Amino acid sequence: MTQPKRRIRRRSFLAKSLGLAGASALPTIIPSSALGLDGTVAPSERIVVGGIGIGGRGTYDLGCFLQQSDVQFNAVCDIKEARRVTVKRLIDDKYGNQDCAMYGDFRELLDRSDIDAVLIATGPNWHATAAVNAAKAGKDIYCEKPCTKNIAQSLVLADTMRRTARIFQAGTQRRNLPHFAFACYLARTGKLGKLKKVYAHPAGMQAMTSGWLPAEEAPEKNQIDWDTYLGPAAWRPFNKKHLDGFNFEKGGGLVGGGVLEWGSHCVDLCQWAMGDCPPPIEYNAPENGELVATYENGAQLIFREKNWIPLGSCPVRFEGETGWVEAGDSGKMVLSSPELLAGRVVEEIGGYPATFHVRDFLDCVKTRSQPKGNAQAAARAHIACHAANIALFLNRQVKLNLANYEFINDEPANRLRSEALREPWRI
Amino acid sequence: MRFTCFPICAAMLVLATAVSCPCVNGQVRTTTSEPELIAIMSSGDTSDEDKALACKRLAIYGSAAAVPELAKLLPDYRFASWARIALEAIPARECDEALRSATKQLDGNLLIGVVNSIGVRRDRESVETLTELLKNPTFDIASAAAVALGKIGDETAAGVLRQSLSQASVEVRSAIAEGCVLCAERILATGNRSLAIEMYDEVRNAKVPMQRIVEATRGAIIARGAEGVPVLVEQIRSPERSMFQLALQVARESQSKEVGKALLSEINSATTDRATLIVHALGDLPNTVEQQSIIDIAANAKKEVRVAAIGVLGRIGDAACVAPLLKIAMESEDLQAPVRAALVDLQDESVNGEILKRLKTAKDETQLLIEVVGLRRIEATAQLETALSSSQAAVRGAALASLGSIVPQDRLSILISQVVAPKYAEDLTAAQKALKEAAVRMPDREACAAELTIASKKAALPTRLALMEILGSVGGPTSLETVAAVAKESDPQLKDVSTRLLGEWMTIDAAPVLLDLAKRGPADKFQLRAVKGYIRIARQFVMSDQERIAMCENAMEAAKQTAEKKMVVEIFSRYPSIGMLKLAVEAAKSPALKEDANRAALTIAEKLKDNTEAQELARKAGILP
Repeated sequence: MTQPKRRIRRRSFLAKSLGLAGASALPTIIPSSALGLDGTVAPSERIVVGGIGIGGRGTYDLGCFLQQSDVQFNAVCDIKEARRVTVKRLIDDKYGNQDCAMYGDFRELLDRSDIDAVLIATGPNWHATAAVNAAKAGKDIYCEKPCTKNIAQSLVLADTMRRTARIFQAGTQRRNLPHFAFACYLARTGKLGKLKKVYAHPAGMQAMTSGWLPAEEAPEKNQIDWDTYLGPAAWRPFNKKHLDGFNFEKGGGLVGGGVLEWGSHCVDLCQWAMGDCPPPIEYNAPENGELVATYENGAQLIFREKNWIPLGSCPVRFEGETGWVEAGDSGKMVLSSPELLAGRVVEEIGGYPATFHVRDFLDCVKTRSQPKGNAQAAARAHIACHAANIALFLNRQVKLNLANYEFINDEPANRLRSEALREPWRI
Repeated sequence: MRFTCFPICAAMLVLATAVSCPCVNGQVRTTTSEPELIAIMSSGDTSDEDKALACKRLAIYGSAAAVPELAKLLPDYRFASWARIALEAIPARECDEALRSATKQLDGNLLIGVVNSIGVRRDRESVETLTELLKNPTFDIASAAAVALGKIGDETAAGVLRQSLSQASVEVRSAIAEGCVLCAERILATGNRSLAIEMYDEVRNAKVPMQRIVEATRGAIIARGAEGVPVLVEQIRSPERSMFQLALQVARESQSKEVGKALLSEINSATTDRATLIVHALGDLPNTVEQQSIIDIAANAKKEVRVAAIGVLGRIGDAACVAPLLKIAMESEDLQAPVRAALVDLQDESVNGEILKRLKTAKDETQLLIEVVGLRRIEATAQLETALSSSQAAVRGAALASLGSIVPQDRLSILISQVVAPKYAEDLTAAQKALKEAAVRMPDREACAAELTIASKKAALPTRLALMEILGSVGGPTSLETVAAVAKESDPQLKDVSTRLLGEWMTIDAAPVLLDLAKRGPADKFQLRAVKGYIRIARQFVMSDQERIAMCENAMEAAKQTAEKKMVVEIFSRYPSIGMLKLAVEAAKSPALKEDANRAALTIAEKLKDNTEAQELARKAGILP
């Protein structure tokens, strides 16, 4: 079968950008007012942001961006026309104008030289590909999680952000909530003694290869662009059940299940508690609802389904030789001893709001410091999730070599490290 | 313990099951046999779905033997990427050969896909093929070839890319630059620093998009090591915002003393805004600059820069910062807030000792130090108690606020005495606020409440009112007992405060107290408040069905007005049970409640549709036909 005729885009990005290379049309400095020191931000000094794939979660994130006085959100891209229109209206209503531009192809949004940063809240299928393309176009990136589909993508994501010198914030907003931050601080700084075990709640451990659903009549391209929706995922016929984004090509070679969906939050917190060290080196098959992974220093990362103190969703627990702490989405934490507070009052913020995380990102866009959910940290946490999923799928132990992030003498596991992207996409 | 996760997560898991279920042929999902998978692929009867899934299984379990079947799919847009999933993963040179061969037959996106896979596999034998493709008139194909060469990243690929950089059309040059940067990075990793630097510099000097220049400049600085500092300084001074931003990031990446020194030296000549950002960057380079340098900036630079430096000291400073920070705060009133924040942030363990030492001999800075003591939760009760006698109201106010944060339970009397018998009347509000903050954090709540109760008995009316408010915040049985007793006193102000507190009480044990007040008191606003408080508990708090039914019965009895009775009726249908239905039927006998009660009864009967007793009762009462 031959390929249907599809125009290979000749992007205007190159020529436009070439025009800018010699003399910047942008302000050359960031005024102190843009750092929020006096609370006012002139329109010309705002961070210009565009949104890619703004559905349910994205609309929430968008709200967090729109709250910030130093943000000018002025473009939205979505493969669904109705959603584009809805989000544009939301943004235009906020600013009282009609300036928000709409795109069906995110590359056109990335071509705009006036856009400083992008919010990527597509389905997980697109996250890494869109993020890497945005970085190569010179944009800073706030990207929802899970950010990657496999180990190889995680490495490419971190490498690309470093190479392109872009600011990347994974949508791991719990890193900017006081009680989770404090729990991780206790673990990281030795206040619990030598750290022995960190626990994450995967909420449904399962790994499987993804497939396709029966063909349905596809809508018009201008309503839903199925080809772009598939993007880097292998081709399959249109079926509207795929459109919710969940578990459609989330895990690449493997559909991620709870290990990746929740792990990109709770394993991420465990990694932070461990000082954002490289991920564990050994992953066992699950037993009695626990999947145990072991770090190079002997500490254990335990994916545990049950036996949590009821502190809300996304609980984590860190156990050291002299103390422990457990925290969850209620905003509360339980400590082995009140002494660990050392007189501090830790603010309880329940409901995992992303406002602080978005603020952290925007501050780092200005200062060029690394945000809490930076690409390196996110990549390591995601690699731990992907490796655990591979152990789950193969139902046996796998051992990861941190020198090259390959599994040791384990061809089946290594073949699950990456997955080809559908043409023409690459990262 | 059961755990409730997001609904969306549950939905996701349901879909996961749906997606993973084999629709037609279960074999393809489970087999690890390569011959079986090849047979599925080659069969004319195989469905599209099974063909695709066979590719995914071959990615894990296939070998060179599977390559011919996989390669057949490369010209088919539906299956090309499924085939490449396997061809990228199988560690056999036959895969490289198949991909290379396919470049001769394919065009458009399918060709790009194959080229991308060659790049992922880093097939060195494909350099010649890719070199040809670099000349392809379709820019996206040539661009894919350039990036693939970059991923291969050996010196041969480097040579091809370098040559192309100056010759290629403008549309392809960005991808060639990308390939060069990728290549240079690999070459640097192999130890050929000079070649890497040459490549980075060539891209920097090429007519390519600014982002490519940013990437090459970053590489050029890092590849040069210490010799890259002048290049970094050049970027610090660049009028281009993106280059300045790059410099800030590379500086952080380097963590070298030379870079720290270079940044420091640029502060004076930079604009205020840039100097501020440079200082922020220095805060991320804690081991590369002397602390004194940051202290000097905090003391002498322009205000915005000083604020940034003060913040940096808070993040990375030690006890030696305390004195200079205090000096800054005393000299510049408008910098007191950032100094206070920095003094609170300082992490070094010896900081608390230094602050206490300074507090002993402090003069003008006394208030600030006392505030910091409270914010850092430093144990300094004795010093703060002494400060309560200061002639300066601001110092006394700070001492009270900080005592609220730190006073231990056995010294709570310090704050109680400040509330009961303040030396300075103007301190009363601050003292009450401090006592409340302290009281609610006391580890032994009952002992705290008992102490407050004793104090309240001796206190004048305004003080008693304030202590009642504090007891309301403390909560617990002792507080409840005290507030309940006060509610029965005759003073209207005391009755007002205590009944309001009881009406808002956060534990269920307030119910009998409220019922007692509701039954015994005259039909005044306090009685009404007690009834409403009782109904609130019946409506909102967790309890057994029997307890709630009993409370509703009591409430109906205690309520003197129809409006309150209707509030009770509203509870019936919230917690449907036989007992509630009986109450509703009984209430419906009152003409004033009939409509509401019948509606509640109907709601309950509908919710208990499988309960024959309930259905029978409803029919008998005429609620159901």
